[in-house]
Parts: sequence; C-alpha cells; structure tokens
Amino acid sequence: MKNRSPFLIISVLAAGVLVAGILSAGVGAVYVSPAAIFSGEQSFLFMNFRVPRLIIALLVGAGLGISGAILQAVIRNPLASPDVIGITKGAGFAAASTIILFPGLPPQAVPVAAFLGAGIVTAGLYLFAFRQRVQPATLALVGIALGAIFQAGIQFLTVRYPVETNAALVWLTGSLWGKDWSDIWMLLPWIIIFSGIAMFLTGKMDILQLGDDVAEGLGESVKAARIVLLLVSVVLAGVSVAIVGTLGFVGLVAPHIARQLVGNKHIVLLPASALTGMILLLVADGLGRGLVPPTEIPAGIFTAVIGAPYFLYLLRKMQKT
Amino acid sequence: MKRYAVLISMFAFVIFLAACGGNEEDSSGESQEDKKETRTIKHEMGETEITGTPEKVVALEFSFVDNLASLGITPAGIADDEDPERIIDPVKEKIGDYTSVGTRKQPSLEVISSLQPDLIIADYERHQDIYDQLSEIAPTIVLPSLSADYAGIIDSFETVAKAVGKEQKGEEVLKEHKNRMEELRSQVPEDESRTVLPAVVADSGYFAHNFESYTGSLLESIGLENAIQSGDDRYNKINLEQIVEVDPDVMFHMVTGDKTVVDEWKENDLYGKVSAVKEDQVYEVDRNMWSRFRGLISSEKILEDAINHLYE
Repeated sequence: MKNRSPFLIISVLAAGVLVAGILSAGVGAVYVSPAAIFSGEQSFLFMNFRVPRLIIALLVGAGLGISGAILQAVIRNPLASPDVIGITKGAGFAAASTIILFPGLPPQAVPVAAFLGAGIVTAGLYLFAFRQRVQPATLALVGIALGAIFQAGIQFLTVRYPVETNAALVWLTGSLWGKDWSDIWMLLPWIIIFSGIAMFLTGKMDILQLGDDVAEGLGESVKAARIVLLLVSVVLAGVSVAIVGTLGFVGLVAPHIARQLVGNKHIVLLPASALTGMILLLVADGLGRGLVPPTEIPAGIFTAVIGAPYFLYLLRKMQKT
Repeated sequence: MKRYAVLISMFAFVIFLAACGGNEEDSSGESQEDKKETRTIKHEMGETEITGTPEKVVALEFSFVDNLASLGITPAGIADDEDPERIIDPVKEKIGDYTSVGTRKQPSLEVISSLQPDLIIADYERHQDIYDQLSEIAPTIVLPSLSADYAGIIDSFETVAKAVGKEQKGEEVLKEHKNRMEELRSQVPEDESRTVLPAVVADSGYFAHNFESYTGSLLESIGLENAIQSGDDRYNKINLEQIVEVDPDVMFHMVTGDKTVVDEWKENDLYGKVSAVKEDQVYEVDRNMWSRFRGLISSEKILEDAINHLYE
C-alpha cells in the first residue's frame, strides 16, 4: 500500500514498543525512581510487580496481534478476530464456570479451563464449518453462533451467581493485574513456538488471500492450510486469553493498524501486528495502573477505549482514499 | 532472512527473561531471624507462619477491618474501594488513619508492598489468585469473607485474633460480643413468627439474601426466620413474582443507587400484595453496614438496627 520500506516501519514500531515499555515501567501507584531500581531499594517492587506485567503485555500483545492477523487471512474478512470466531467467548465461559462453580480449585485451574474452552470452540468450528467444504464466511458465521452460545452461558452465570461473579469479573474484563513470573513461564513457550510456526507459514497466508481458486490453482491444499493456520491462531489467542482473561479488541485492531502501515505481505504483517499489539497493551496497562492510583482499571477497558476510536478513524481514512 | 532475524530476536528475548527471573529469586530469598515466638496459622490456602506481633496489617476486605478494629488495631492499609465512606461509623471511630490500597477487587500490589506490612489478610474468593504474590510481600492469611455466613465470620475473627497475636484479647472481645448477642436475642419475643427478607436492592435487580447468607443467618441467630429457607444459593436475584410467592412479613432493603427495581415495582399492583408492603414493614437500611462489612461490630449494629425497626 505504502511505498515506505517495511523494514523501516518495523523498526519504528519496535522503537515504539521500547518507548511504551519504558514509560509503562515508570507508571504505577508507587513512584519508582530509576536510581532506586538499581540501588536495590525498590527492586523488589519493580521486579515483582512492574516487570512481569510489562513482559506479559509484550507476550499477550504479540499473541493476540498475530492470532488476529492469521484469522483475517484465513477467513479473508477484515472483521475476523479471536473475539468474532468465538474463541475468547469459549475461554471466558470455561474460566468463569471454573471460578464461580468450583472456587475450591487451585488458581492454576483457571487458565487450563480457559484454554480448554478455546479448544472446545475450535472443535465446534471444525465440526460445523470444516466438515463441509470450508467457506470462509461459514467459518465466521459458525464462530459467531458458537460465541453467542458461550456469551449466553456467561450471562447465565452472572445472573445465577451474582456474588460469586465478583471474583470472575476481573478475569472477564481482561486484566494484567496480579500477573507474576509463573504466568510468564506458562505463556512464554507457547507464544514463542507458535509465533515461530506462524512466521514459517506466512507464504500460505499470502496465497490464501488470493482466493480459493487461485490458491488451489497454485497447488495449495486450501482446506489443510486453513486448518493448520486456524490451529496456530487458536493456540496463540487461547493461551493469551487463558492468562489475562477475555481482553477484547487487540486481536481485531492490531492487525488492521499494522496492515495500514506495512501492507498485506504476511512476512512483515505478522511482526508488525505483534508489535502493534504490544504497544496497545503496554499503553492500556500503563493507563490502567497510572490514571487513578491506587485503583486499578482493567487493561481490557482501555484496549476498547483506545482501540475502538482508532479503529473508527482508520475505517474513515480508508473510505476517503 | 528476515524470518531468521525474528527467531533470533525471540531467542535473545528468552535469554533476557531467564536472566531477569534469576535476579528475582536472589532478591526474594530473605533471611528472617526468629527473635520472637512463631505461630502457625491455618487458613484457606494452607498454613502461614507469623512471628511476633504484627504491627502493620493490611486488610483486603471490610470484615477484616471490623475484626482488627474490635481488637484495637488500626490497619496500615485497607482496600476501601477508594471510598472512605464505605467504612461504617462504629468502625471508623475505632481506627486511625490508614492508606487506601485501592479496590477490593483489584488491590494495588505496589501500594501494599510499599507499606511494608508484616501481615496481610485477604479474602478467599477475591484474592486466592494473588496469594503467592501477597505471600512474597508479607505473611498472608486467606479467610472467607465474601462467601461466609455468620458462623464463618466468627471463625475468621478467631483466626485474625490468633494471627495478630491477640488471642486472649480476642476471647474477651468474643465473649463480650456473645453477651451482647444474647441481650439482643432477648429483645425478640419468643413467639415472633414474622418472616424477614434482607435484600440488596439495585437498578440491576433484587438480590435476596437467604437463611444461609451472612445477613440472613445473623438475623436467624436471634430468632428472625428468613423468608427463603431453601435454595442452593445464598444470594439470589429474584423477581417480583418470586417475592410474592415467598411473601415475607418484613423486608430490609439495602438500597444502592438512586433508582432501583423496587421503584418500578411500586407502580405494580402485585407489589402491594406482599405482606411486608401491606403491613408497611419495608425498611431501608445501610448497605455498607448490612452487607459489605460482615464483622462483629457490624453484626451487633445490624441487629440493633433490625430490632429498632421491628419493635420501636
């Protein structure tokens, strides 16, 4: 789309991540001076609360950004995102049921349940959309239908168990509050491995975007490519949501912003989406911590607040050109 | 080429993280010499050792603030939802200045840590996820508050008293509390047969507290029978028809917000058929005291309140 070198734009985005990261690290309910970090005075606070959140923001931002970019390629629809095809809703329902119905389970059960919930939705997608010839539109519609079922389930839980819902609300809005190193170790291998796999599959995404006929003509097994890409995307979104909760909008907005900047070639679009997702989450979490301390505002609220208007602006700009 | 560059940078990132993780373990390995006696407190998340008498205590639920106030301790930090008004007057009188650590839902770990507490008391439902992190800051005990009934509240109080090293004072306070409860109970006539229904009344719905809920079980303990004697759930969102069906003789409404569902119901003939409405036995009560606090002091105040409404 643009004539600027994608490499330059990626570097600018990477610099953006660095700046957002540094700013975000400085924001919080307690003022931390750079000197105090290195003198060890406040290193406990910094290393235990700030840094883990920062890294989680990077990992989840990348996971959701890449996941969204893959889905938009697979479904060939700019509206595709982990939220739209029901993955986050499935994870949300599974996690909320675990929190509300089985409060006695150890906290580690929640991410596992969330991931399984995402898996169930994927199985549903496969069952209803892939058994026939996979049409991108079918996939999106089945996803929306499955998402609606799980959304209804979440609403049922909140009405049926109003008090217990309190405990699940933090998770349902999506927040980086209370994340620590153990969450990072849980998330890191998945994000690294599956982002890596995604990078090796960028060629397939480019071909899929040309349309099914052209792709078949080029010797690509469209169905197989779709299934593999969908799985990669589900794992990335699933693990991200499992750790931070149903954080909306990043998976939709980040790839769009990236596409505006670097165009449609996935070899640059994926890293650009990941970096954009990181920036979004760093800013959202920084604002959540720093706006009205010591009150924590869930990052999920800010991703919607920042993401949605920017998205509308982008749409307008695209219409004009 | 580019894809390898990405992979290499990811790899570098992992190494960086591993280095960070290593640092963190070093700094948290604190060596505490035990100078004073050490108690082991059993709680919902296991056992915690507490040494000496904690002076800086952080309370992440209001019931623990109530407990500490009864024991004569001012919490150093309270998760007060950034609204000091939520602390009911009889408790506020007993405690001094404290630092707000944010909301009960998401208390700020940074602020808690900066207070350098020597004991943190957290709620089982709300805070079990952050138990590990709280424990890194200070010895932490996790007790039921949000989901507890009156008996559970008494248990929690005893645990808190033990944790702060005031077991004896705790026993005295509890004895006094039980005497006061007996006194209150004696003000309820033996033949009291009216059923009561405490409920949080909001714009979003009517949340009835049944016989096993904190407020419900508390009122039952002095002989006021709850209108809802069944159900698996202590708190139920119910509609007007269901209220007509359980037909309470007295209703205590913990009103929250300017406009509630009950305002709408007032225009409905059905609402007038409820015994409590017919007999003019609907009372508005303070939500902070009746539902949020869940402690010894607030328990006494709730019953005083109820008896005032019912018999004076």
